[in-house]
Amino acid sequence: MFPLLTTLVFLPTIGALVLMVGPKGASRWIAAIFSGVTFVLSLWLYIGPLVGGSGTAGFGSIMHPAWSESIPWVHFAIGTLQLNIDYHLGADGLSIFMLILNALLSFLAIIGSWHVSNRTREYMALLLILETGVMGVFCAFDLYLFWLFWEVELIPMFLLIAIWGGQRREYAAWKFVIYTIFGSAFMLAGIILLYFSLGAQNGAYSASFSYLASHQVAGTYSIFGISIASQLLLFLLLYLGFAIKLPMIPFHTWLPDAHTEAPTAVSVLLAGVLLKMGAYGLIRICVDFAPQGARDFALPLAVLGAINIIYGAGCSLVQRDMKKLIAYSSVSHMGYVILGVAAAIGPGATNPAFREAALTGAAIQMFSHGAVTGMLFFCVGVLYEKAHLREINAFGGLMARMPRLTWIYTFAIMASLGLPGLSGFVAEYLVYTGSFANFPAQTIIAAVTMILTAGYLLWMLKRAFYGPLNPRWAHLNDANLLEMAPLVMLGVVVLFVGVYPGFLVDLLRPSLHQIIQTMGSLPVAGR
Amino acid sequence: MQLGLTDVWLLSPEIALTGLAVLVMVLDFFMRSGGTGPNRGTLAVVAIVGMLIPAGFTTWLAFSPNRPTTGFYGMLTSDNYALFFQYLFLGIGLGVILASYDFIRLYIKASGEFYALLLFSLVGAMFMASSTELITIYIALELTSFPLYVMAGMLRNNIPNNPDSSKRSSEAAIKYVLLGAMSSAILLYGMALLYGVTGTTDLKSIASALQTFTSGGPNALVLLLADVFIFAGFGFKISAVPFHMWAPDIYEGAPSPGTLFFSVASKAAGFAALIRVFIAGGLVQTSSFYVWGLIAIAALFSMTLGNIVAIVQSDIKRMMAYSSIAQAGYILVGFAALAFQPKNNSATSAILVFIAVYVVTNIGAFAGIIALANATGGERVRDFDGLFRRSPALALGMSLCLLSLAGIPPLAGAVSKVVLFIAAWNQGGFLPWLVIAGLLNSVISIAYYVGIVYRIFVATPPRDDRLPISRAASTALVLSVIGIIALTIFIGPLLNAGGMGAQSLFSYLGK
Repeated sequence: MFPLLTTLVFLPTIGALVLMVGPKGASRWIAAIFSGVTFVLSLWLYIGPLVGGSGTAGFGSIMHPAWSESIPWVHFAIGTLQLNIDYHLGADGLSIFMLILNALLSFLAIIGSWHVSNRTREYMALLLILETGVMGVFCAFDLYLFWLFWEVELIPMFLLIAIWGGQRREYAAWKFVIYTIFGSAFMLAGIILLYFSLGAQNGAYSASFSYLASHQVAGTYSIFGISIASQLLLFLLLYLGFAIKLPMIPFHTWLPDAHTEAPTAVSVLLAGVLLKMGAYGLIRICVDFAPQGARDFALPLAVLGAINIIYGAGCSLVQRDMKKLIAYSSVSHMGYVILGVAAAIGPGATNPAFREAALTGAAIQMFSHGAVTGMLFFCVGVLYEKAHLREINAFGGLMARMPRLTWIYTFAIMASLGLPGLSGFVAEYLVYTGSFANFPAQTIIAAVTMILTAGYLLWMLKRAFYGPLNPRWAHLNDANLLEMAPLVMLGVVVLFVGVYPGFLVDLLRPSLHQIIQTMGSLPVAGR
Repeated sequence: MQLGLTDVWLLSPEIALTGLAVLVMVLDFFMRSGGTGPNRGTLAVVAIVGMLIPAGFTTWLAFSPNRPTTGFYGMLTSDNYALFFQYLFLGIGLGVILASYDFIRLYIKASGEFYALLLFSLVGAMFMASSTELITIYIALELTSFPLYVMAGMLRNNIPNNPDSSKRSSEAAIKYVLLGAMSSAILLYGMALLYGVTGTTDLKSIASALQTFTSGGPNALVLLLADVFIFAGFGFKISAVPFHMWAPDIYEGAPSPGTLFFSVASKAAGFAALIRVFIAGGLVQTSSFYVWGLIAIAALFSMTLGNIVAIVQSDIKRMMAYSSIAQAGYILVGFAALAFQPKNNSATSAILVFIAVYVVTNIGAFAGIIALANATGGERVRDFDGLFRRSPALALGMSLCLLSLAGIPPLAGAVSKVVLFIAAWNQGGFLPWLVIAGLLNSVISIAYYVGIVYRIFVATPPRDDRLPISRAASTALVLSVIGIIALTIFIGPLLNAGGMGAQSLFSYLGK
């Protein structure tokens, strides 16, 4: 069988190598072709199982992914140590839709970076390597392999921010690296602990996802005399890496800096797929492999999620820089993912349908936020390219000069604040519906925050685009076709998901159902 | 039992390498090239091609599974462990000769001496891995070290950007001799004490004598001192804290090819002998927890001090010195895993693999440093500014090596580090904490490894020119990059090779 997943992961890297030896002038085209082909191939991930005849159930779950490729890599068993690491790629519904999102956004990021003229070749090569890393994260089905891919994005991202970033790029790039690698060190500790705890308990050592999801660690660890439930410790160790990536308060401070300083396309990828790595890890790794630990931590998680939502919105209200505002709105929006996951794993004796709704909402929010925030960053990028300024108050009345950009920006803002009919609404509605049963107070806070969200977004729109035209900007031209292309493509996706979310729900159902079943089998806490 | 042809066969790699060293020395004498003439290339080619002969003998031994492993009345053991290191040392020879070729023309001007010394030192290193008798190990250590002392002082011409460098090279040589002599004395003292306890210098007899040793007995303190002194003596060679003080000064002062050679050969040989004496000599089974505590603390401090101090260095070779101290710390984490389970071949093989990957990567990193020094005469950290624009290939190769040293996945450095930490973690006790300290240290190490990568790609170059990169050094770099990628993919077979090497160490142990 054709190794589709391997191709998806490594085709961008091959593109980067071709770039390095290919003619300098053609680097944009080479990058666009390779990422475009990757995107087209990635669609087959979705279409393939449907054509295969098994219908929407064919996307499979973590136990039986629709796509799977495995090559033995390290099999090392001597003495008491058994080390089994496989090159095992797989894709079920949850992976498939993140893989497609990544392929789409990477392609659009390259299209949207057409204007980059400083060291274009290296820029495009790094974007492609970044795409490889993220692809690998979303389809690794072996925990060690997952960790290896997890850090591949680090260096390209670091260089992309540090070379092509804004004024404080050096600071932002280092902050990004230090936060990320700190989290991943703890994640590795968690992975090793999980691997050996399960191995010692069941006598079989494996890091493959299906094994880890079907066996759970029992008992307690004792550290310095303090005893802690094994699963809770595992959950916390693994989650630290994901919490930084998500980002969850109080580990979020790298994000506004990185977002603000990164070049447009990199901000798009950062918000669109890199934050989703954290959310994906939370659902796929933490919840699947330490369900009881997740349940024990559900309440703090819900509280932190609610704080994320309202704190991010509050910070957005006071931002003067347009990009920073969107960055903080990302913090707020990712809070819905956290709240949704927390509701799905919550301790109450909830109807599983609510759990599934919350988790589906969280997953759709991952997709929706990726697309919508991508649009917002592209809009700001277009504006910044022309005006070289992102100060909201310095603009005014841009509608008169840039109607096309204003319309698409307004559209993106409506999607971001959750207008019914667009993707954001679907996600938020599902999260609210699902989480109210488990965490009413947090849900109310989240719902009320919608007012703040509308406030900061519309206020920004009003100050920058409506009202009388600031004569300083009378020379600005509207967005051209090339700049509009990624915006329109994302807009179509946002609208489609908003009108017909069913296809995403179908795609996700088998994967998420598996998690809900695991959760349902846990003893309900009598706390 | 008497000596026969079999013994010579077992010794053949070492004999062949000694012959090659002598040949290079004599050739140099007859060619009167003075290190600069047209015959310079011939010497290097003879040295490199000549190493195929010992490599052939090693392979012959490796593919003779039924060979006797001990020869010369038990003084020599040509087991899988020794063969693993023989391949490693021959690889080091190849890498260092390639990397040093143009540097010698520019700054050392003595090819013959340099190559001959290097080959003699490698003979010593091989003996350190294959001797199983304390006096032989001691002599092997001296045979390894003396050429190093000379190599440290061989910088005849100043490096352009560093007008004092020739003088500092001589200074480094003197320091190295003095500190090296001191460490040898300590090691010898430890060996003497061990002899006093067991009445023999043969590792096999020591192991069997120690099997009847009771930990509360009258000799316990003497044995403890012996353990500590032996560890301290080898601690100098592997530059573990607190025996690391020589490394930064001597790494900085010595000519870069010499530094490269110290950082890989001396360290690998030191570990080879340390592990051999501790495991094959049975010390692991009788060592008290004081010894393991000392080793664990040495590991912790080596990692932490090495990584933190490396951040603030402005000289690239000083930085690499602290980096190598930190890497020694990681290896000691694996070594400390023997505390709870002396026959821990998973930890031992993880150590062997880590050393192999470290050696390959460090050769690449230093080849990059040497290539830059050849082209610009700069060996400071800031000479790497904007290297990518001046020489993209050199910059990419060098960055890959540095990232692998930092343990950034998916490069071989990361995989080998993960395997080492997993093997250590598996032992329980205090080791998970040591592993967590190691992981946090990897985070710290990002600051300087990625710091160089940052300079290479982001910083503004001092001049916007294309650097001429010496072909030999870049060959070494390319080989090392290929090695890194290959080791990443084939880490499984390498682990099994390490496992076979480790397994052969345990034959003398009881229980």
